Amino acid sequence: MRLLDSTRLVSRALLTARLRSFLTILGIAVGIAAVSLLTTIGAGLQLYVLENFSQFGSRIIAVNPGKTQTSGIGALLSSTRPLSVEDAQSLRPLPFVELVVPVVQGSGAIEFGRRVRHTDIIGGNGEMAAAWRFEVAQGRFLPVISGNSQPFAVLGSKVKQELFGEASALGRFIRVGGERYRVIGVMAAKGQMLGFDLDDIVYIPIDRALALFNRSGLMEIDITYRAGTSAQQMAERIRQRLIQRHTVEDFTITTQDEMLSSLDRILGLLTVAIGALGGISLLVGAIGIVTIMVTTVQERTAEIGLLRALGATRRQILLLFLGEALLLAIAGGLFGLLLMSVLLGVLAIAVPSLPISLSPFYLLLALALAALVGLLAGVSPAWRAASLNPVDALQQE
Amino acid sequence: MIRLQALCKAYALGDETVTALDEVSLDIGAGEYLSVMGPSGSGKSTLLNMIGLLDTPDTGRYQLCGHDMTILNEEGRAAERNRRIGFVFQAYHLIDRLSARENIELPLVLAGMAPAERRPLVDEVIERLGLLDRAGHLPRQLSGGQRQRVAIARAVIRKPALLLADEPTGNLDSHSGAEVIKLLEELNSQGITLLVVTHDPAIGQRAGRRLRMEDGRVTEDSGAVNTPRETGYARR
Amino acid sequence: MRAADLLQFNLRLLLRQRFRTLMSLLAMAVGVAAVLLLTGLGEGARQFVLNEFSLLGNDVLIMLPGRKETTGGIPPLTGEGTRDITLDDVQALGQLPSVRRIAPLIVGNAQTHVGGRSRELLTLGTSALFFDLRDLGVRQGRMLPDIPLDRAASVCVLGAGARQELFAQQPALGQWLRIGDRRFRVIGILDDRGESLGMDMRNTILIPVASAQQIFNTRGMFRVFVQHQPGSSLERARQDILALMQERHGGEKDVTLITQDALLGAFDDVLRLLTLGVAAIAAISLLVAGILIMNITLISVSQRTREIGLLKALGASANTVRILFISEALQLALLGSLLGAITGYSLLALGHWFFPLLPFVVSSWALGAAWAIAILTATLFAWLPASRAAAMAPVLALHGQAR
Repeated sequence: MRLLDSTRLVSRALLTARLRSFLTILGIAVGIAAVSLLTTIGAGLQLYVLENFSQFGSRIIAVNPGKTQTSGIGALLSSTRPLSVEDAQSLRPLPFVELVVPVVQGSGAIEFGRRVRHTDIIGGNGEMAAAWRFEVAQGRFLPVISGNSQPFAVLGSKVKQELFGEASALGRFIRVGGERYRVIGVMAAKGQMLGFDLDDIVYIPIDRALALFNRSGLMEIDITYRAGTSAQQMAERIRQRLIQRHTVEDFTITTQDEMLSSLDRILGLLTVAIGALGGISLLVGAIGIVTIMVTTVQERTAEIGLLRALGATRRQILLLFLGEALLLAIAGGLFGLLLMSVLLGVLAIAVPSLPISLSPFYLLLALALAALVGLLAGVSPAWRAASLNPVDALQQE
Repeated sequence: MIRLQALCKAYALGDETVTALDEVSLDIGAGEYLSVMGPSGSGKSTLLNMIGLLDTPDTGRYQLCGHDMTILNEEGRAAERNRRIGFVFQAYHLIDRLSARENIELPLVLAGMAPAERRPLVDEVIERLGLLDRAGHLPRQLSGGQRQRVAIARAVIRKPALLLADEPTGNLDSHSGAEVIKLLEELNSQGITLLVVTHDPAIGQRAGRRLRMEDGRVTEDSGAVNTPRETGYARR
Repeated sequence: MRAADLLQFNLRLLLRQRFRTLMSLLAMAVGVAAVLLLTGLGEGARQFVLNEFSLLGNDVLIMLPGRKETTGGIPPLTGEGTRDITLDDVQALGQLPSVRRIAPLIVGNAQTHVGGRSRELLTLGTSALFFDLRDLGVRQGRMLPDIPLDRAASVCVLGAGARQELFAQQPALGQWLRIGDRRFRVIGILDDRGESLGMDMRNTILIPVASAQQIFNTRGMFRVFVQHQPGSSLERARQDILALMQERHGGEKDVTLITQDALLGAFDDVLRLLTLGVAAIAAISLLVAGILIMNITLISVSQRTREIGLLKALGASANTVRILFISEALQLALLGSLLGAITGYSLLALGHWFFPLLPFVVSSWALGAAWAIAILTATLFAWLPASRAAAMAPVLALHGQAR
């Protein structure tokens, strides 16, 4: 039988039972729409989160004190062997190192005149803005110095707004934890990252912050490095240098590369898992195809007998019914994608901030999935049809 | 018992309109035995369906047991069919997944009768129609004659006033056909009004009153002969 | 028609179309089982988290140094304020009438040595009351001694995991170990308990708070746990504490108080939402099952056209015919849901058996919702085919024509 002829036979059969075919297609379509919609949203969120993290650049390595990373709070804890500013300085001579930023974070009252704002205080150095890719809107960032620092402070845009309003803050004196600081810069607005307001921060020199919080150790050292070396090699060099100073490895090194890729892995896994949940609907849709195909074979037993009597081979019968299942499934897949794009459109209008990325790869995958479902669901009924005895089949009414 | 006045019915068949009944008027007394003959498409089945309340006339009036049937809606007609009318079809129309007994019981089930009430009624009919050893069989385990016998049992289980048979012997060999006709006549002699539509003149001739239809009209009517007897069936 | 007759009539039908029935049941069951399984898992995870965190007790406040203006955001968890919470502060708070118990906490990573072994372990400097507050028990020996807060003592209590790490099979009780440059004697081993409040209690060492101050060379507390007096309200205790701290810190409001409810509320909401979302995704499969049931009812109607005609001739009203088909679908849905519920809960029970940490939760709302959706979809989707059957003209139906 020629492909065109068999296609015509199959589509005629499907059209005759129009409502039945439509419902079967609808079942698959809902499943495919669920899977593709969920994976699309998942992939979009994945991209969004990754972009959020990679805004710090990818050639950055963080060192935190403590080896046992207890649910991420290790850095906050006191330690018998704190990471010191000297530790940070010792990393500077390492090859490829670009910027080294010691970090400590706490909170306290910021006063200007009679206005008070309690907010986050970050202790850093002059290289922090460059390393974190934060931009200064007015004035300048903390100066790059060696030795004791001067009482300079840089304000996040929100803190500036709260304390000074529209008035200029540059050159004014504020109190941070009771000590006098001169405002030398205001940062550009940065927005939120994962619930953390990046604009509600005051930056002061690291030595002053340590004194302010009465801390001996840093919470983190951030190192950026030049291109030409790998994250692993760079991390290894830092590890060696710090072990030299501490004799044991009592710190944890996280490369941005590593973090991004593990984040990417986790989010990817999550996307697949959610897609699989949607796949349950697809499974039910497949059950639908099996049911309908078996019923169709039952109803058309006499027709199958006739076709066999007219000289159709088992193979042809098999392909005919398999083709019918396949066509149903692919139509379901296409319809499902249509359904998905409508839902995505509605979603995009309702939640404009939702990051959506349509990848043709996933769409094709969804279609292939639908076809696979059709094939798998169609095999058994088609086989049943093909193995009917023509004489018995003809007698069936 | 039955009074038809100027019944008309037309069907659309493709682009054409076919007149199935053309101003048919007819009076049928209780306990009468009628046969309706005529060529295909003469309107005999339509007449039967009309009397059996399966179909509704376009115009005209239909009274059954003194009640106007044309004012009933589908729900009302269904209730009347269940109560007053029994059908026997050429194709038996037995439900093949139900046993003979369950098929017979069906009108009672539809009427919402309790099992305890149904049992004696079904037992009685099964015995009267000689189906005792067949009651538990499925339709496909029965011969054609036995199937029609089950269908007749089902038709009379509610003791209807009217029994309508549309080619009851059409699918049967002559021997079984004769038995079925005998059974129907026996029921008629017990007082039920019997109306048989048939092609077979041998069967048609047996009726006390014979109608002939052509082109939607009753062209011959031999007239009522047997006087209605007051029996258990006719009183209902 | 009586309900019992209807049921029997339908059962006959479903048994006859065995394969079709089986597949519809399967479809329904998969959907219901998925919904129940996922909500069960979600609820289980939620309760697990809540249980874990509520060990703190409803009457406990956590105080941390530092304060941020932004409300609703993350509290200043770094624990670094411009002014320390000192042991004097803790002692003063303990005198408040609305405070029942108070326990300071300093946490740090410290190198711990026993003989040749050396491990970096989470070291908690605290007081005897901490054990009551956190509901910690000892498996062996005793808890930290009830000594004045500002007195150091060379004793420690080990978590079960830390004990294993440091002493392996050797007896630990009464032995000496070194934390940083100080020596401590092991006086107790904690009950084997998992992670709580983000700290793995199994791998910790507990020492008196004053000793921890010396080891870590720090003055300020990382956290302070306060349990309020049963007679007074939590809010009252909160006000009292804040007022006293402000007074002691020269009029500065520079501490943050967190209640368990506030902490768990957000968690609870997120997990509840997640459970709901996941269940909703699974419920899509019930929609697909509904479509299948509609299709099957449609096929049933078209295959049984003559039967519909007969039933009508025998006096079945349009309503009876409609009920006949809808009840058939409904029976399928109910049976399928039952099957799904059994499967879902069996899987959950199995999961609980394999992972006893995960509580076995039968969320009645999910069961109710799954059944309601199953019944609703079946009725809804069977309505169209059933109405089709109900509207058939008896004469045509008898001849196998739908219209």
